[in-house]
Amino acid sequence: MALHRTCDGLKRRDFLRVGALGATGVTLGSFLRLSEAGQVANAARARSAIFINLPGGPSHMDTFDLKPNAPEEYRGEFSPIQTKVAGIEISEHLPRLASAMDKFVILRGVSHTLAAHRLGSEYVNSGNRPLPSLEFPGYGAVVTRELGGPKDLPPFVSIPNSAQRAGYLGVKYAPLHTNATPQPGRPFSVRGIALGDGLTLEDVEKRNDLLGKLDTTFAGFEKHNQLLDGLDRFSQQAYSMITSKRAREAFDVSKEAPSFAEKFGESPFGQSCLLATRLVEAGTRFVTISTGGWDTHRDNWTRLKERQLPPFDEGLAALLVGLEEKGLLDSTAVYVTGEFGRTPKINQERGGRDHYPRCMFMLMAGGGIQGGRVLGASNDTATEPAGDGFSPDDVAASFYHSLGIDHTKEYHTNTGRPVMIVRNGNVIDELFA
Amino acid sequence: MFMTKAFLKTIASLAVLVTCTPGMLRADDVQAPASTRFQNADTDETPDFQRHLVPLMGKLGCNGRACHGSFQGQGGFQLSLFGYDFDMDHENLMDRIDTDAPADSYALHKPTLQEPHEGGKRMEIGSWEYNLFLSWIRGGAAPKSQDAATLTALEVTPKEIRFSEAGQTQQLKAIAVWSDGTREDVTCLSRFQSNDTAICEITDSGQVTAGESGDTHVVVFYDNAVVPVPVLKPVSDRTGDNYPQVATSTPIDEFVVSKLSKLGIIPSEICTDEEFLRRVSLDLAGTLPTAGEVRAFLSDQSPDKRARKVEELLETPAYAAWWTTRLCDWTGNSDQQLNNINPARGNTASSDWYDWIYKRVAENVPYDELVEGIVVANSRRPDETYREYCERQTRMLRDDATETFADEEGLTYFWGRRNFRSTEDRAIGFAYTFMGTRIQCAQCHKHPFDVWTQSDFQQFEQFFARINFARNGSDRKEYQAMLKELGVEKLRGGEQRRAISTAAKEGKTVPFPELIVQTPRLSPAQRKRLEALKAKGRDVTIPQQTARVLGGETINLSEIDDPRTALMDWLRHDSKQLFAKALVNRVWANYFNRGIVEPTDDLSLANPPCNQELLDYLARGFVENGYDMHWLHREICLSDTYQRSWRPNDTNLHDERNFSRAVPRRLPAEVAVDALAAATISDDKAAQLLEETSKRAIGLPGIPRNRSAGNYYALSVFGRSIRESNCDCDRSSEASLLQTVFVRNDETVHELIDRRDGWIRQLARGAAASSGRSGDNRKVEAARERMERLERNLRRARDNGAKKQIESLTRQLRTLRRQLADIEPEPSDIDLDVASVVEEAYLRTLSRLPSEQERAIAADFVSSSEDPLAGARGLLWTLINTKEFLVNH
Repeated sequence: MALHRTCDGLKRRDFLRVGALGATGVTLGSFLRLSEAGQVANAARARSAIFINLPGGPSHMDTFDLKPNAPEEYRGEFSPIQTKVAGIEISEHLPRLASAMDKFVILRGVSHTLAAHRLGSEYVNSGNRPLPSLEFPGYGAVVTRELGGPKDLPPFVSIPNSAQRAGYLGVKYAPLHTNATPQPGRPFSVRGIALGDGLTLEDVEKRNDLLGKLDTTFAGFEKHNQLLDGLDRFSQQAYSMITSKRAREAFDVSKEAPSFAEKFGESPFGQSCLLATRLVEAGTRFVTISTGGWDTHRDNWTRLKERQLPPFDEGLAALLVGLEEKGLLDSTAVYVTGEFGRTPKINQERGGRDHYPRCMFMLMAGGGIQGGRVLGASNDTATEPAGDGFSPDDVAASFYHSLGIDHTKEYHTNTGRPVMIVRNGNVIDELFA
Repeated sequence: MFMTKAFLKTIASLAVLVTCTPGMLRADDVQAPASTRFQNADTDETPDFQRHLVPLMGKLGCNGRACHGSFQGQGGFQLSLFGYDFDMDHENLMDRIDTDAPADSYALHKPTLQEPHEGGKRMEIGSWEYNLFLSWIRGGAAPKSQDAATLTALEVTPKEIRFSEAGQTQQLKAIAVWSDGTREDVTCLSRFQSNDTAICEITDSGQVTAGESGDTHVVVFYDNAVVPVPVLKPVSDRTGDNYPQVATSTPIDEFVVSKLSKLGIIPSEICTDEEFLRRVSLDLAGTLPTAGEVRAFLSDQSPDKRARKVEELLETPAYAAWWTTRLCDWTGNSDQQLNNINPARGNTASSDWYDWIYKRVAENVPYDELVEGIVVANSRRPDETYREYCERQTRMLRDDATETFADEEGLTYFWGRRNFRSTEDRAIGFAYTFMGTRIQCAQCHKHPFDVWTQSDFQQFEQFFARINFARNGSDRKEYQAMLKELGVEKLRGGEQRRAISTAAKEGKTVPFPELIVQTPRLSPAQRKRLEALKAKGRDVTIPQQTARVLGGETINLSEIDDPRTALMDWLRHDSKQLFAKALVNRVWANYFNRGIVEPTDDLSLANPPCNQELLDYLARGFVENGYDMHWLHREICLSDTYQRSWRPNDTNLHDERNFSRAVPRRLPAEVAVDALAAATISDDKAAQLLEETSKRAIGLPGIPRNRSAGNYYALSVFGRSIRESNCDCDRSSEASLLQTVFVRNDETVHELIDRRDGWIRQLARGAAASSGRSGDNRKVEAARERMERLERNLRRARDNGAKKQIESLTRQLRTLRRQLADIEPEPSDIDLDVASVVEEAYLRTLSRLPSEQERAIAADFVSSSEDPLAGARGLLWTLINTKEFLVNH
């Protein structure tokens, strides 16, 4: 009793993927046409990436997924406004992003089940649901491992720090944390890169010269020992990084033309965005920005409109516009997310919203992603995705895809266990359509 | 039920000796290989599902991870990964079997490409594999029978392979011995693997081909047996009679040299006194020797000075601190996992944990007793009520507490970690910590590299089902009453937690979590409740009557009060000594860059030790000496093997596996950070480093929740263990760009060099004193102190982006700098003895005297700098940036 074969031409997995797309409006026919045109597979354009993390978990219903017609206990205080793209509306407190709507995509109805900050954060920073037995590498670690980095710049920089770790890939893929954010118009010195207090370039060269003469104990043996050989190579690289004008200037936001820098505003987040564009321009492979304060269990609306949204709106819009002005938007993948959304039903007691992973938003731009669209949707009360929704894994797979990295590639952990870069994701092909 | 203890012993010993049972069967009693028997399609024999069909499917790759062994199956067909779930495999296979027309079975059409098969062609029609499959279907396609015989041994010959040149080959033969007495040549049904394909390759049919010189193992898999066979090819012709006399002063040396003589590797010379002192201080006590210590050791002429140094170090707090750090790695002491575990404000749990272990290491409590305190830890003392327990715990939080957590009998926190809650996590974590064994694979499928099956895992898990770390204690009434007394019963979550912390601080008795062992028998109501939860999809394990130690006895849990006592007995008395081996192997790796088994947490059959006799000797000796950790350290540190130079000779240049020389290795994170501090600190402060560890990195208890902040940054960059994933790889000793950038140019390092109690300042003070300007000294010091404070505040202000504060601090600093410039001695006035500065700089960083050439180069640099102090600073910077500094060698 032989089994029947499945439908011609499509393997089971493809079939499932098409099914998922069906819910968001792409028909099988259009999927096949896209495939034929080669647009599904060959959209990779980005060479570097900026990941913006919003720790705390921003409220989706008050930012990018408003439900003005929802019952009062859900709706919230903000009104939607029109954006540059007809038919897409976002919060009234995001006017600059509304004008830059053509540059990015809003993913609505992204959904997962981890309502704790740390677990959710690990999930969205790696694209893999956390496991107790394994620490997954963050995006930056994978991207720098896959794509390498420039000789005289750190390949992976986090401003001021990041939840992305090197995980099982090992410490050599860990990010350089700036531990501070730049001040407007001031030289910004980053630990390890900026010359220490009172040290001149000449001093550094002299010392390096002396080091060359004295570091000879293992002479001749280095090439037989991986560690010693590695230390030598890193030593050369560190020297060129510290002495290179390019590296120091990349970190120095005061070197930016005022006419360009102005739109980023003076907030730490805006300045971080400015720094990120400079670093990407100089050749840094991966930059993360982290800007917190989104855990609005109480005073949700006051905090959003007074503290959170204005600098976010200003900084992110400037980042997208700025990248485009420099001709970098197409070669830079941008991904913005918190660890979850917030409860659509208002916590009346505290005037806030609580953790809510079941329905959230994410933003993507650049790197071949065509902006000015909303993909996916939530239901009438923004309590769950309408249709299948997206998982953080899908978004991660797409993020890698835009960088030309096959998310199904396997690494081996130190325990010899084979693990795919993203274990359960499918590229959201519509992003690149 | 699949394995007896005897069976395991047999399997384990096969690698070293051929089993010779009395009245051994003659060769013709061994059934010929299936490849011969099924050569012909019209054989009458019906193959067996367990013995033949499942191994065949494994051999053909059907149940591999990328194929039908995938958890989603492939093409709608799923087999158990690595094949040990006979029921499921049979059931799934039967959908593809046609017993009426056997040759038309879909299961035969696919792998022969009569139907398209994504996995490609796996066998030819008419091949013995095909005939075997077909005969099984023809014979009725029977499943594994309920009373099937079990595999008692897999005898592999030859037991060891020695090659002399590349390209030589050797065929392996595997005989399966079943509990019903039958013996069968199963070579053609076994899977093979080479653990190092550079040394030798192995074909699917078991033919080994020699490659480069060196040694490794090939491993044979059949049914649930895993048999490693050593393969060796000497690196020189100096083997056997040709091997030179090498003195072996300790048993360790005998075992090591015995292996080296087979390989033709001659060990390196014994290292110099300088090298020994630096190496042993860093390895044993995590501490860089001071300049003074180096001088004293070099001038000591007594022949037993190395042994006395080891004894001396064993008694230092630094020794206790460093090994406490390592034990905290293996037991998983992390603030993240202990969040909110006790009502104290801030996280005292990780320091309690550290202190508890520290006390025992400092007192050299036997390792098995230390572990017993963890394994069978209890919160309450006998006959203590919950309230009394809480009162006692609350007292410990007070500043004037006379009792501390370290005095408690048990380390209860081990059981309260967030990643140690479910029985699965506990089974995995327990095996990792105490047995250096990875059983996580067996959670979902047959372990690919060891004997463990899913059923072994599930039966082991049962030991942990009754152990409950109850956040709110086990006495509900008393708990509620205490909340009422504190007036916090109405508060929720975080608010209540904070209120309780405050109350505890005020000395009021507050409720504590407690570790309890639930009653052996579940009442029908309890069982019903658990079953209901499970039905709802909740992650609960319903306690069973029995549990089984891995590869050992079944234990009736209803007869013992605390199932963990059975686990502890087993750790102590199991014949495989995994408990002792895991520790001696980890300790060995601390000294030799790699374990005798490497990775150190993977003691499994397919990953055998590189020197079995050596591991056995150390484990046995450790047990016979009452698990005395000092014995173990002494035994290792006083061996020639440990004291060998890193300088290679022609035969051992490439040896990093058999301990023929010291292998340079990067200092562990804490040791590196402490060494940077030690190298730059003033002489009198340096002298206290071995004694005062609380402010050192090796005195740091847990893993903070933010691993990139402040002082912790350096430890993260150097790969301090994250203590998170039950893996010794949570600690990293790799080099990285950020590490080099850190030592070269991080503000932390610049500050270390220039800090007030640093060596450079000491030089400046000394020089100023000798030039008669000491009158101003106190003023200068005060101003500098103030400056450092301002700089610290400024950094904090910058981090917080406090604009006004930044401006004001910058202004104050500017003024202060001007003032300081007026009273400070001119750098050019400073008169330093350059030769002695150079010598001191070498002693305090590289723990040795400089060579003549180094003296000249360094002195030239110092004298030609704009002032001698700047020269000394530059030299110190240079020396801590040499490879020699950051590497233990």
